[in-house]
Amino acid sequence: MADLSLAKAPRTTDRSYDFAAVVAQRWPAIATVVALLALWEIITVGFHVPSYMAPSPLDVVGAFHDNGQILWSNFLPTLGEALAGFFFGNLIAVMVAVLFVHSQTAERAFYPVAVFMHTIPIIALAPILVLLFGNGVTPKVIIAALICFFPTLVNMVRGLKAVSPAALDLMRVLSATPAEIFWKVRLQSSLPFLFAALKIAATTCVIGAIVAEWIGSSFGLGALIIEATYNFRSSLLYATVFVAALLAVLLFSAVSIAEARIIRWKSPAVS
Amino acid sequence: MAGEGDVNKPVLKRPPGPQAATVAKTAIQVENLDVVFGAGAGAVTALSGVNVDIPEGGLVTMLGPSGCGKSTLLRAFADLVPAAAGEIAIFGRSPRLAREARDFAFVFQDATLLPWRTAIDNVKLPLEVGGGAARHADPAKLLELVGLKGREKALPEELSGGMRQRVAIARALVTQPRILLMDEPFGALDEITRDKLNEELLRIWQETGTTIVFVTHSIPEAVFLGQRVLVLATNPGRVREYMPVPLAYPRSLKIRDTLEFVEVTAHLRQLLEDC
Repeated sequence: MADLSLAKAPRTTDRSYDFAAVVAQRWPAIATVVALLALWEIITVGFHVPSYMAPSPLDVVGAFHDNGQILWSNFLPTLGEALAGFFFGNLIAVMVAVLFVHSQTAERAFYPVAVFMHTIPIIALAPILVLLFGNGVTPKVIIAALICFFPTLVNMVRGLKAVSPAALDLMRVLSATPAEIFWKVRLQSSLPFLFAALKIAATTCVIGAIVAEWIGSSFGLGALIIEATYNFRSSLLYATVFVAALLAVLLFSAVSIAEARIIRWKSPAVS
Repeated sequence: MAGEGDVNKPVLKRPPGPQAATVAKTAIQVENLDVVFGAGAGAVTALSGVNVDIPEGGLVTMLGPSGCGKSTLLRAFADLVPAAAGEIAIFGRSPRLAREARDFAFVFQDATLLPWRTAIDNVKLPLEVGGGAARHADPAKLLELVGLKGREKALPEELSGGMRQRVAIARALVTQPRILLMDEPFGALDEITRDKLNEELLRIWQETGTTIVFVTHSIPEAVFLGQRVLVLATNPGRVREYMPVPLAYPRSLKIRDTLEFVEVTAHLRQLLEDC
């Protein structure tokens, strides 16, 4: 009997990708969202709240319809900045973590600097970078990268050090070189830690790009948020915020899917 | 070096036994070994003046109370712990050279499989690092030898504790080592699994002819497996007795109910109480 139920299990998980099954499984959440939207609509219409103060959900849908082109053309640069920042911020963090693990001197020299950099509020750093690099894409990518950098550095250092002493004994008995220990053991066992950090970075890099666009930019979702606010185009503002959230969800999902594909084993150390 | 090729061949069905041990060469020779942990005032002497010969093709079990240094002695053989004084010769070489020549393999108490590798890939690990191995066995055949045929693609988390330890044994055998060093390999397993693996280890020993040094804190396990039992005493760790086990191979688990077996275990129990 136990074997039968085991054999059936994968089939049910396959079916969960069906729309009907997703609805069946998630109906409490879906019902809550629908109810909140309905409540929002009733309040704005019922109490005659002016649209510039708080647009109704239908107004926001209308804004999507009317401003589709504007939203899309501002979505793309923010996506690009967030992705570039995500890539460079994490790449540099991983490389610095590898350096730290192999050189205690480097760790002692640069770790305090990294902590200090992290304590500077990103919103305070943005104007400085705009002054340094102008109104282009560069300061946005740098800020998105900076915001990714620290969590990944800390997690990656922890991950690279999380190798069991027994595994290192094993590699020593096998006369493995330091490079072999790094590639075959340390890097692999750090992957769950890395992905935990990448999931954080997937959402924060969007924040970084948008904050940078607030400070000085004529394009991107951040600039659109500022512009819509100053012109009392509240429906467009809400639509832009929604798109920004969607971007973060998109990146987070991409990282989660990559994690599920790459790490098929359960790490005892993380989670 | 000329004779080495013959020794390294997988010698199947060689009947080991007390007679074979007396004519065989020495695999591991230990002379006046001291092992000290730490330095200065806080230094702890783990082993003091240890002298022992492990015969080639033999199966020696090491027994002793906690802290007697039996694991330390095994780790000193494996070049995981340095000697403070005295000498260890593994087929005439230092532990470091023997390690680099892949003379021995080590089986840890915890299976220490890499959790992201499948069973077969874990068995292949020794062939991928440390410059590979001059000689090697077929990993798939080894998994079959340890009774894991069909589970090659399983991840360690999908295997039971006993199965994981079997994979670890297959991994140790993949370089066809001349010596297998085992540090309480079945200590964390339940008794039924442990009995089964003990029987299988004897079978593997008889099929491969590998020299085995086996650390345990179980008296019955030490007697059931060993041609000889090396009893260590504590404070400081030293050899208490190196006694032959007067039981013929092949041994089955039933042997534990015989009078001879009980006599040997009773003697060892008495010895350990005095340690």
